[in-house]
Amino acid sequence: MSRTETLTPAHRLWARHHPEPDPIAMKTLGFWLYMLSDALIFAGLFAAYAVLDHKFNAAGGPQIKNVVHPLEAFVQTVVVFTSVLAYSLAMVGLKARNRMFVLAGLLSAFVLGGVFLGLEINDFATLVAHGITPERSGLMSIFFVLIATHGLHMAFGMLWMAVMMAQVALKGFTTEVVTRLLNLRLFWVFQASIWVCMFVFVYLNGAF
Amino acid sequence: MSAHEADPLDHPEVRHASPLAYVSGYLLSVIFMAIALLLTLRHTMHYLNFIIAVSILAGLALLAQALLMFRLDLSKSQQWKTFSLILVLPLFVLSIGLTGWMFHTLYPRTMMHFMQVQGADM
Repeated sequence: MSRTETLTPAHRLWARHHPEPDPIAMKTLGFWLYMLSDALIFAGLFAAYAVLDHKFNAAGGPQIKNVVHPLEAFVQTVVVFTSVLAYSLAMVGLKARNRMFVLAGLLSAFVLGGVFLGLEINDFATLVAHGITPERSGLMSIFFVLIATHGLHMAFGMLWMAVMMAQVALKGFTTEVVTRLLNLRLFWVFQASIWVCMFVFVYLNGAF
Repeated sequence: MSAHEADPLDHPEVRHASPLAYVSGYLLSVIFMAIALLLTLRHTMHYLNFIIAVSILAGLALLAQALLMFRLDLSKSQQWKTFSLILVLPLFVLSIGLTGWMFHTLYPRTMMHFMQVQGADM
């Protein structure tokens, strides 16, 4: 008899017929680790922004204070936070096993996400109309890339949300659907956290 | 959740949803950002004091989101998310901070001539 077979289950590191790990917790942790790596993409972009936010890199063109509007950005801040709150409250509906509550929360979060993106696209369109484009300078390049990367995350989050609304309506609360809802919540709250950094270090710091 | 529990809605990550925590996290985040906005619009602080103040406010908003929106804590269902975030935070801060610091010192040492040509001041 091998030593492994004589150990009690509590002392074993692994076993051939060990019960399967919790599938929901494993997937949410995996998705969480992906998001931490995503945060490092933003760290790289913020580092590039910190370097390029200098008058030399404006190449005689507009500086950050000329392109940011703190009050309008604050409206975006409230909108994205409210969208995250709506999604989080949908998870309260999930806990209460209320499908309509979940769908209403997801729809509210989706609409508010659309409002946020609409404000951002409008902001970009105004800048472009004034001849302020990414190719104007290194500073403008990183400004557009940084903001648009976050906007792209929001757009993919909304696409994911639309898929989840259909899945909740058609499939109900299966293990797969619940896992995806939990992962999407992590993703959506993460967008608000990244936006805090953008609002403070790009919009407010830039306007000061 | 044990592998034998079939109902996904009994999972701890579903059960820890809390309207009170979510609304508190939302309100605190909005309040901290509103204070940061006021500091910017009033423009009465020196730049160094301003950047320290808004950085602290951003940190508080992020902390409120981590604790009340992400619901991070040391419970069995959340502990690995909490530990991994704590381990990644130095990477996030150092990669931005060290890059900024390097270029902050590099610009005056390498661009002085260019600055004089342009008539720019630091």
